[in-house]
Amino acid sequence: MRGDTTEMKSIQNPLLLMEGITKLYPENSVLANDNVHFEVLEGEIHALVGENGAGKTTLMKILYGLQRPDRGKIYYKGKEVHIKNPTDAHRLGIGMVHQHFRLIGKYTVTENVILGREPRRYGMLIDRKKARKSVIETARKYQLEIDPDAPVFKLSIGQMQIVEILKILYRESDFLILDEPTSVLTEQEIKRLFETLRTLKQLGKTIVIITHKLHEVKAISERVTVMRQGKTVAVKDTATTDERELSRLMVGRDVILKFERESIPKGETVYKLENVTLTERGKKVPLLDNINIEVHRHEIVGVAGVSGNGLTELEDIIGGLRRVTSGKIYHDGRDITNLSSIQLREQGLAYVPSDRLYRGSSLESSVIENMIVSNHHNFLRGEILERKKILNYVLAQREKYSIRCDPNIPIGMLSGGNIQKVILARELSTQTDFILFAEPTWGLDVASSEFIYEKILSLRREGVGIILISSNLDEILSLSDTLLVMYRGRIVFYEENKDLNKEVIGEYMLGLRDQFNSLNHTTPRTEVV
Amino acid sequence: MNTSHFSIPMLHNSISIMTPFLLAAIGGLFTELSGMLNIALEGLMLIGAFFSVIFAAFTGSIFIGILCGILATLLTALVFGYVSLYLKANIFIAGLATNLLAPGLTTVLAFKIFGNKGVIRFNNIPNIPVLHLPSLERVPILGDIFIGHNILVYISWLLVIIAVIVIYKTPFGLRLRGTGLNSRTIRALGLSPRYYQLSAILISGFTAGIGGAFLTLNMGAFVPNITAGRGWIALVAIYLGNKKPLGIVIASFIFGFTESFSNYAQGIAKGIPADFILALPYIVTVVVMILFSIWTHYRARSQ
Amino acid sequence: MSNKNGERRLSDLAVNILGLSVTLLVAFIVVIVLIFLLSKQPLNTIYYFFIGPFTNRYYFGNMLNSSIPLMFTGLGIAVAFKSSVFNLGGEGQVYASALVATAVAIALPNLGGLFGITVATLAAALTGAFLAGLSGYFKMKWNTDELISSYLISAAVILIVNYFITGPLNDPTNSLLATKAVEKQYFLARIFIPSKLNTSLFFALITVVLVYFLMYHTHWGYEMRICGLNREFARYGGINTAKYLVLPMLLSGFLHGLAGSMSIFGTYHRCIKTFSFGMGWNGIAVALIAKNNPIAVIPSALFFAYMQAGANAAMIHSDITYEIVSIVQAVIFFLITAEAIYNYFRYKPSKKYAERGGEK
Repeated sequence: MRGDTTEMKSIQNPLLLMEGITKLYPENSVLANDNVHFEVLEGEIHALVGENGAGKTTLMKILYGLQRPDRGKIYYKGKEVHIKNPTDAHRLGIGMVHQHFRLIGKYTVTENVILGREPRRYGMLIDRKKARKSVIETARKYQLEIDPDAPVFKLSIGQMQIVEILKILYRESDFLILDEPTSVLTEQEIKRLFETLRTLKQLGKTIVIITHKLHEVKAISERVTVMRQGKTVAVKDTATTDERELSRLMVGRDVILKFERESIPKGETVYKLENVTLTERGKKVPLLDNINIEVHRHEIVGVAGVSGNGLTELEDIIGGLRRVTSGKIYHDGRDITNLSSIQLREQGLAYVPSDRLYRGSSLESSVIENMIVSNHHNFLRGEILERKKILNYVLAQREKYSIRCDPNIPIGMLSGGNIQKVILARELSTQTDFILFAEPTWGLDVASSEFIYEKILSLRREGVGIILISSNLDEILSLSDTLLVMYRGRIVFYEENKDLNKEVIGEYMLGLRDQFNSLNHTTPRTEVV
Repeated sequence: MNTSHFSIPMLHNSISIMTPFLLAAIGGLFTELSGMLNIALEGLMLIGAFFSVIFAAFTGSIFIGILCGILATLLTALVFGYVSLYLKANIFIAGLATNLLAPGLTTVLAFKIFGNKGVIRFNNIPNIPVLHLPSLERVPILGDIFIGHNILVYISWLLVIIAVIVIYKTPFGLRLRGTGLNSRTIRALGLSPRYYQLSAILISGFTAGIGGAFLTLNMGAFVPNITAGRGWIALVAIYLGNKKPLGIVIASFIFGFTESFSNYAQGIAKGIPADFILALPYIVTVVVMILFSIWTHYRARSQ
Repeated sequence: MSNKNGERRLSDLAVNILGLSVTLLVAFIVVIVLIFLLSKQPLNTIYYFFIGPFTNRYYFGNMLNSSIPLMFTGLGIAVAFKSSVFNLGGEGQVYASALVATAVAIALPNLGGLFGITVATLAAALTGAFLAGLSGYFKMKWNTDELISSYLISAAVILIVNYFITGPLNDPTNSLLATKAVEKQYFLARIFIPSKLNTSLFFALITVVLVYFLMYHTHWGYEMRICGLNREFARYGGINTAKYLVLPMLLSGFLHGLAGSMSIFGTYHRCIKTFSFGMGWNGIAVALIAKNNPIAVIPSALFFAYMQAGANAAMIHSDITYEIVSIVQAVIFFLITAEAIYNYFRYKPSKKYAERGGEK
């Protein structure tokens, strides 16, 4: 460790000690963990923070047996242990709740919890009665609410997380690892999660929470370890540090995530969704219910919501990849409902998808081939592609967007930020007057995010109308002129972004408030067990 | 044409003829549920057909013949599974490889052992025991159709029942289906998806081997390419049966019926060339496949 | 080629060649072992298997000649694979197209020469295109699995072609089960007497170049390849993905049709029952070895033809059976897509780097 890191105090008898952990991912030559040192005391709630790509998840995956370190040792309860797979971790009492849930949607809650440790009848058959009983008892013991027979795909995100936690508790884990548990929760659900964590701590569990949200570190943890670029840079008592210091340690410099959004008068309406509804056979509730959105030139309309409430469907509809069931879409007054994505592009509408890696690019194709997918017809002589012209065009774009790469290599080898820049270069290559950004900075480092924000703001300055769909509430509140919230496929909030309160917005996102319906008190879809 | 004259025997034969389809398909179901496309059923069946008949001939015992056929098929399935799962080969190409290996290997061995690349007849193979239940046989119509088949037919039914229990009522089945639905989840639990996928491949080898044995032991001879596309049709049966055991039974019956019909039609419909009648099962299969996908397509569309 | 961290890493081409070499090495060993197990005169067999095709003009020329249909079918499969559609009906497409070529030539006996051959070849190629295109169409319209449908259609078509060869179009004066021969004007010129090698070799090579150009220099090829790599991305990017479920199948069938007609006009001059069996399946082998690269189809087809010619020579002059080739082919299929082998060459150097202790 070097430079401005804090002195590490040595701890007596830590419950967990990870020492000298090094891990290289050969596929992209990333040194995810570089001689990492990590200690956790028994019974504490310990936060592990860092930027995306700092190596926190890798470190915990090594602890949980999903990855093997190239070098390093792990000591648990004083003894050296070799964790070769999750089963070894389970045996030690270590359990992990993943950032992207590892659940089987079609199975019930009970089936998901017992999977891999099924109670048996006659030795060979599953004892379903016993399984159900175990799940109910475990939930009761830890004061969790869940319906054991519900198929998991019908649950809310918060409830799915409860299932994940139940999985570990069912296996009698004492050491819990939670990887970015709050990234898909609303404020209320986060509160509930933290209450659960405190209960678990009282019942003797030790918890490590991986996060990059610094205010949560302050809210829930007692100690915090900061990682940066694969190395441990600091260990602090939470009480003695603050968000600014942690942020500086995480990034290496002072980062202020506030920028100036100048006040610009809105222009005419450039894009409009009118009474758009999307239904699906077999689903009682429409996926999108009577959506009305109006976007003006020089305006950023932010769409907030928890995933699963229609944001993805909205993105698909606006992007031209899905047809509406009813309703209309207008561009500058022209009816463009159900036009295909290539037709939309011809009209001057662009779309930066949330699924950067699969929808937004072809990972195995070169940067050049990725960049020209929408406009390669401009480089034709007859039916033949003019290689030289294409290369010059791509090189020019590379300069303009400061993308660091060799244009001929597969785009999958680039960092997330550079991939997003290629996508931007492609989408903005023609004159646009409307653009949809979906989760534009998800998973990106600070520098790339800043680049994207600047681009969005400059587009706004030029007179482009923008819809920004994002689960990052800070981002939306900073960028949007107008904010709307979606819940269960409906718009429940739609107002100018002036002095809005994050907590209140969170309540809209969870359906506890609704501007357009007299409060339709929906009973929570769980049984109090 | 007195239809009642041959409709009962035709149905009776359908039950018998559907057995290899059913066997290959029910084993193939395991591989499908674990998330893999298994086109090697054809080659595996041929291996089973060959080895079971020659060992039955060497030892004079049907039982040992079937056992050896299964063993040989399991070995081949092991190679197929190992290459696909551990050497990470493209499973579709590996399946093609198995389908090339089978006729190549069996012809080479036949030539080496018997000096003959064509039909090999064996005179000392006993017939497969037939199950006679006189009391049940007297049941009108149903008795004629379902009773009086050789024991492999009834074994196939037993295997289907066992398969249903294993798939839906055991931990293995729960984890197997989980592997097909979301293998990352299985891995995160500390289980190995490859274990379940390899098991599924071996199971499909087991049942395909029995299916192949059924073909040759019935005739007491080995005919090159005796499987004649049945492995492919078994795959279609899995899809048509919507990857559920009951559906597979019904689909297999439909194909068994088609083949039985074309056998009878050859004798009766003298005007139609034999080749066209032989082509009928394939054509029917394609048509059924297309109709099924049309139905699925419009069902999904009408939302 | 060096990557982000500046280390040296093997280029993709080097990895592919190394992996291919391992596969061929294993195949080679398998051949040797099989020969020793099955032949009473192993050394003699080995001689004829490996050297046999070069021992005289007849064998050598015929070897080159048998590579020609493989180039066409190899291209046909390569084009399909590159677009991520699966044409498993090659056997039927070649066979049916050959019959159509023969039938057209017999029906127009006074034509012939370049014009007649072109007309008949076009009819044949369109037949192949139609048969493959059917599967592509069903896939596009109703998402019917084209892998299975193309196989089943091909199986049925083969039986129907058999009927025509042994029935209405049969030539009773010939001892083989075959149709009548086409007129002499339809014969392609021999270029390496006494072997059957003929001018269709040049057509094959030209076709290879044309297909390469199509795939890498035209917008059709670009769109096909993008659809093949990531259909969702292609759709998002505005490419008509529905079209590219059918078009590659049409092209694939067309190329298989060329294999059929070139075989007739160049080599066989009449449609003999089962004469083309294997050309479809071997086309898959050829495309795999060539890793779906059109230019690489040439050496790949030659290699395959060499293997077949060797087995033939060994069969004639020694005591093994031709089907050994199927076993070797199976071994090649098993290994050629085995990523684990390629990964070994890809990642070993990087691993060593990590063990040495990271940067600086």
